[in-house]
Amino acid sequence: MLSCRKATELIEKQFVAQLSLKERVQLNLHKSICDACTAYEKQSRLLNDLLKKQASATPDQIAEQENEALKANLLKQLPLD
Amino acid sequence: MLGKSRIIKEWVNSYSDRMYSWALHRTNNKEVAEDLVQDTFIAAIQSFEKFEGKSEPQTWLLSILNNKIAGYYRKQYRNPVINAGSTGSDGENDFLNTFFDTNGEWQQQQRPAAWTDDTANLLDDAAFTTELQKCMDRLPSNWLAAVRLKYLEAQKAEAICQELGVAPTNYWQILHRAKLQLRKCLEVHWFKK
Repeated sequence: MLSCRKATELIEKQFVAQLSLKERVQLNLHKSICDACTAYEKQSRLLNDLLKKQASATPDQIAEQENEALKANLLKQLPLD
Repeated sequence: MLGKSRIIKEWVNSYSDRMYSWALHRTNNKEVAEDLVQDTFIAAIQSFEKFEGKSEPQTWLLSILNNKIAGYYRKQYRNPVINAGSTGSDGENDFLNTFFDTNGEWQQQQRPAAWTDDTANLLDDAAFTTELQKCMDRLPSNWLAAVRLKYLEAQKAEAICQELGVAPTNYWQILHRAKLQLRKCLEVHWFKK
């Protein structure tokens, strides 16, 4: 029987790699009797979704911040004549 | 070459604010963002002949910048900054021991609580995105880098592992720890308030 520690590790592993059949069966069995890990998986999936959406914003969707000091520094530091 | 200098200067004036804002969004660090923008212009100067007006300058500059940002994450992943309580295999076992007891069961205080089901518009809430960012910033830098690489690059795990020269097990073990901490942080600072 999987521990919760191992179960949460497999929950994270499944998002990046294929679980073996044995791992998949053990995880499903664990979840069927463990509310905490069932909740953990649901919340971890939500986090995946949030992180993915956060990462997919495009530059144009970000508020543009002026940085006059940066511009001045670039014009000074870059190898331009 | 006068023409090249004039063009690059125009690009600095026209595009560096947008580039800085993007780098800041991705790294959450002003000094790093400024350095990455400078590195991007240096690279653009060096490969200026390759540009040849094939695309919009801003598009080209942003693609160089994205490569620089990914390079920054890779460096963070390989060279973890020493954070209190988070280094070495003992440190990492200590970390897991705060969540799970000696039988591998959830510690009582750490058991995930039920969250609201109303999560569809969380990212539209500026208060939430602030908390999410704060929770991400609390992660050790190499854990955060692993998270960023996963979602930024949308590369397969095998490709990331190969490129970084890490065993796949190590990669998802880091993601395991990062997600445990992130989940807990959001529960404490958002969902249970």
